[in-house]
Amino acid sequence: MEKENRFWQIVFLSLPMAVFVILIIWPLTSSFYYSFTNWNGFNSDYQYVGFDNFIKILTDKLFYQAAINTSIWMVAAIFLPSLFGLVLALLIDSSVPGGSIFKSIFYLPICLSAVVVGQTWVWIYQPDWGLMNTVIGFIAQEKFNYAWLAKPDTALGSVILAWSWQQTGLSMVIYLAGLTSISEDLIEVCEIEGASTWQRIRLVIFPLLTPATVVVIALSVINSLKGFDILYIMTGGGPFNSSDTLAMHMYNESFKKYLMGYGSAISVVLFLIALTIIRIYFKQLKKVDEIYG
Amino acid sequence: MAELVLNNIKKSFGDIEVIKGVDLKVSHGEFMVFVGPSGCGKSTMLRMISGLESVTEGSIHIDGADVTHEAPSKRQLAMVFQSYALFPHMTVEQNIGFGLKLAKLPKKEIEEKVAEVARVLKITDLLPRTPRQLSGGQRQRVAIGRSIIRHPKIFLFDEPLSNLDAALRVQMRLEILRLHTRLKTTMVYVTHDQVEAMTLADRIVVFNHGKIEQSGPPIELYNHPANIFVAGFIGAPAMNLIATTLSTDKQGTYIDLDGLRLPFNLKANAVDKMSVTFGIRSEHLEVCTNDSPDFQAQVEIIEDLGSESLLYLQTNFSTEPLTVRVSPENDYRTGQKIGIQVDKSKMHIFDTETGRNMS
Ligand SMILES: Nc1ncnc2c1ncn2[C@@H]1O[C@H](COP(=O)(O)OP(=O)(O)O)[C@@H](O)[C@H]1O
Ligand SMILES: [Mg+2]
Repeated sequence: MEKENRFWQIVFLSLPMAVFVILIIWPLTSSFYYSFTNWNGFNSDYQYVGFDNFIKILTDKLFYQAAINTSIWMVAAIFLPSLFGLVLALLIDSSVPGGSIFKSIFYLPICLSAVVVGQTWVWIYQPDWGLMNTVIGFIAQEKFNYAWLAKPDTALGSVILAWSWQQTGLSMVIYLAGLTSISEDLIEVCEIEGASTWQRIRLVIFPLLTPATVVVIALSVINSLKGFDILYIMTGGGPFNSSDTLAMHMYNESFKKYLMGYGSAISVVLFLIALTIIRIYFKQLKKVDEIYG
Repeated sequence: MAELVLNNIKKSFGDIEVIKGVDLKVSHGEFMVFVGPSGCGKSTMLRMISGLESVTEGSIHIDGADVTHEAPSKRQLAMVFQSYALFPHMTVEQNIGFGLKLAKLPKKEIEEKVAEVARVLKITDLLPRTPRQLSGGQRQRVAIGRSIIRHPKIFLFDEPLSNLDAALRVQMRLEILRLHTRLKTTMVYVTHDQVEAMTLADRIVVFNHGKIEQSGPPIELYNHPANIFVAGFIGAPAMNLIATTLSTDKQGTYIDLDGLRLPFNLKANAVDKMSVTFGIRSEHLEVCTNDSPDFQAQVEIIEDLGSESLLYLQTNFSTEPLTVRVSPENDYRTGQKIGIQVDKSKMHIFDTETGRNMS
């Protein structure tokens, strides 16, 4: 009986393990390997170049630009959807009429792929007939045709908005779940003690949503680190690298300039950054756990 | 200190009426206890007083002012919940000072008041902790601290001791009494535990099915229960209740328990052969030492409680065993036949149909 179980355990575990090794471990180790070479991506003759690729990063202006953009991207892509999601959750939870319909509507974008969302927003931002300019034109009562995605000043911000639109639904449902787990008694204490709505949110509800916030931030961090596809669809890092992020930069170096070795070095740096963020995150998680268990 | 008046309060949740017309006056500084079985509407009643629950019909007055439609915070009440309802992310100090912080009092003043309250409740060394690091009794003390710091007009307690173990419950009961003596604030205290009600209350209100069965000082309820429900609910062990029929002849009204004739002088109109319930408390039955007992019984179970013992007796006239209080230094054995004497001045007769006490 024991033996038989063991056999099946191994069988059932081996498949996910294989997938994990092929899709995660193998690319990861090969990235590390190629980051020390000058491989171009398809030729089999390449040399070991030591730390050359990493030294090159230090002098790569575009890398810095991408690093700054990545920071902006991550902060905004974590903060905005979380904030919007929280606000929506609070509104829906305060039982506004039609709350459950809004819930479905706001959640819908999450079910769409980034490609669909990206393309939709490309249309929204379209200078001549896009929804954005049409609405602004309507309000301002004069023709408006600003090329949101084609101007360095607004390209990254425009993508961030599209991204937030998609991600808000996710943080909203997590916050809604968090709100239902707040004990009714605590809200009643607020009522009896005379807390204003703002005091109630600031002093009680938001702190008590910390476990939900932890999850929201975690997912936002992970999603924003992965947030490559929507940028790729909407701007491709342009114009003039103004919306280049590290992931985008890595892609361009590897697959457009055929500098696979250098691209791998960038990916290794990106990996280390992600690792650091996640470690900080887990440290915070432990603290939260001690209070809210 | 404040006076609380409830005028014909009714409450329905949808089609279901859970409070069916309650009139009550709680005087200045009175310790009022609502007691009744689970689900009878005590919490709902308390929550209507607090304003957390709306009133379907009737009105609530505090110190003469109609507060029926006032927001909870405007009523100047404090409420202590069964679950303690402490904020897990705040320290004890922040929990106690919560109401003052909301009122935007200066930090210094809040600190001083919290320190004073903590001193009264003997929880000064707990101030820096969070609720998770406290025991149940300590948590309840903090919850009480949060409620007394604002000097509310009325304290509302909803089963505050139910989550505590028995020993702690007795201790906290005393402390709440002490608090009341000290603050002299009007208190409305909800419990399903009649012992708690008896020991705490200036006046008890017995609820059942959303209605008041009887209200009055504990001893009055104990000695003169208005109906079968109160008779059975107040007092431990519960009053012995025996279903029988009333008879009338030229010598008067009486019941016949297997040949034992117990005469009554009833206030209410008695009808011959009506179904009644005979009630007698366990301390008003006595094991007979002479040879002319009122009736014979057989000891079924003996419960030794230390300070006293309870005998559960089988008789010919009652399907339920009768309880009798005896001194703990007894040598009764199960199965033993004993004679019992009834204290004729402490007997109750209830109309079985209406439940009303006729004696
Ligand atoms: N919010 C509510 N909605 C519907 N029914 C309720 C609600 N609150 C209480 N009740 C019902 O009202 C009755 C009285 O409840 P409650 O006041 O909590 O009783 P108690 O505190 O005496 O145990 C119960 O039957 C309960 O199911
Ligand atoms: Mg209750």
